[in-house]
Amino acid sequence: MTADADKHLLPVGRVSRRGLGQSETGLAFLAFIILALLPIFVDGYAIYILPQYMLFGMLAMSLGLLWGFVGILSFGQAGFFALGAYTMGLAMQSDLGINPAYIGILLSLVVGGVLATIAGYFLFSAGVRATYFVLVTLALSIMVEQIAVSQSDITGGWNGMFIDRMSLTFGALGEISLYEDAPAYYAVLPVVVVTYVLLRWLTSARFGKVLAGIRENEDRMTALGFNISLYKTCAFALSGVIASLAGALYSTHANFVAPSLGGVLFSTEVVVWVAIGGRSSLLGALLGGILVATLSNYLNAVTPEYWQLVLGLIFITVIVFFTGGLAGAVAQLPRLWQSRS
Amino acid sequence: MSVLLETNNLSKHFDGLVANQDINFSLEAGSIRCVIGPNGSGKTTFISMISGHLRPTGGRIIYKDRDVTDLSVIRRARIGIARKFQTPTVFENLTAYQNIELAVLGTGCPRAKRHRRIFEILDLIRLSEVWDRPAQFLSHGQRQWLEVGLLIAIEAELLLLDEPTAGMTAEETASTARLVQMLAREFKLSVIIIEHDINFIRDLRAPVTVLHLGRVLLDGSFEEVAANDRVRDVYLGHEAG
Repeated sequence: MTADADKHLLPVGRVSRRGLGQSETGLAFLAFIILALLPIFVDGYAIYILPQYMLFGMLAMSLGLLWGFVGILSFGQAGFFALGAYTMGLAMQSDLGINPAYIGILLSLVVGGVLATIAGYFLFSAGVRATYFVLVTLALSIMVEQIAVSQSDITGGWNGMFIDRMSLTFGALGEISLYEDAPAYYAVLPVVVVTYVLLRWLTSARFGKVLAGIRENEDRMTALGFNISLYKTCAFALSGVIASLAGALYSTHANFVAPSLGGVLFSTEVVVWVAIGGRSSLLGALLGGILVATLSNYLNAVTPEYWQLVLGLIFITVIVFFTGGLAGAVAQLPRLWQSRS
Repeated sequence: MSVLLETNNLSKHFDGLVANQDINFSLEAGSIRCVIGPNGSGKTTFISMISGHLRPTGGRIIYKDRDVTDLSVIRRARIGIARKFQTPTVFENLTAYQNIELAVLGTGCPRAKRHRRIFEILDLIRLSEVWDRPAQFLSHGQRQWLEVGLLIAIEAELLLLDEPTAGMTAEETASTARLVQMLAREFKLSVIIIEHDINFIRDLRAPVTVLHLGRVLLDGSFEEVAANDRVRDVYLGHEAG
């Protein structure tokens, strides 16, 4: 055994990917510090809308986990997001004597997790892979959209459902209202940070290493005795939980949920965020969700007719020139710098 | 020595095509057996049934006195039956270290001992000097050894090696023969090897089973097999010609 080897131990998840590598932790820290300080310098619409974009980033991370770490492309994340949003909406209408938002959050976690576990179990046990998995998950999203439309007595159909902003209650200790934008901002940010940290920890632990092995070579992992359908189901369930929680928080922040949240267009947008941000990095996926949603909003204001065309061109450019997305491009910068000097 | 693996009338048919028919085979613990035969003789089908990648049409597979015929690939790997494929099947984008680490993760090896265990295996397969090199940048022979290392890492007791020396240099082939002999002698592992390289088979000095048209043509030592006229006709003679 070489002494040199001891110094350079790197977890599977870090070395093998084309993502930001070890610089990701520092960049994530910087990004979260900027997000935490932003309300001090900026106010108004930006502070209103950013929590929703951060939740889009959280949704993007749920896909990043699947696509970047397990090699599974899912078009169903929007479906889980919409499911969480409607679950929160229905819970907020309840009157059980406890804070309905807490019930909504808890139920969204359970509903997203259970549905993803059931879908994942049957799909992965049956060996559904690649294109077929994409199609089935897209169908899942469309089903959520169609149920939301057809059950209009409960969901409001195409008109959508209005949902109040939640409040944080602490029993006798009091209550924090999230009706104002700044408290709502600081309520969403920790959830996003904790989700990111949890996923980073999981992907560098044993679970993440096994997922990396499955992404690299499923057949070999099976031959080594790993139950890959179990691991894939767990990853899919976790991504369903995260997407559903993001949807629940989004609905109470945006005060509204509509069937289009589970539609084909939104499902595709999530994939575009992750592709542009960089699927091999959780930070890339998170920032992809935030930045592309911000850009879409800006383009929509500047050129309402052509914003999707412009976004499409940006998507193609990034994919053609940076296959690893923006995270891959950032990771290449030091190498480019070294080769020039 | 006790019998580790037995097959009783093991058969595999593909839509009427007989790939294996009534193969009766036994392997003692800690021993090596070579399985040879011309292309299409059913060698890979045979070990695919033992590894669980193919389901037999008939017959039974007994491993450590237990009928494993209906067990999945995963379950067989967990009870010690591990397979190396014809082309090296490793984790190409992961380093040699990470490849072995993945396999060790499945064994429940304590975290504190994992690093040492990984390097023990890397030393064994002569890859400790290139521990940090991604598998895709290793030589063909090194990738073959890496795959054997994966099987050792999951603490398999029966190694099924499908053409382990394919694409290797003469020196690498000789090293592989020494490695396989050491695995059997020092680690008491049992090895079934499918191979075309006659020099490698001779170097192993292990009993040989000859398959022809899906059936066992002959069991014997290398010298007995090489001297057998029928074997020479169907295999050695054919290859020499």
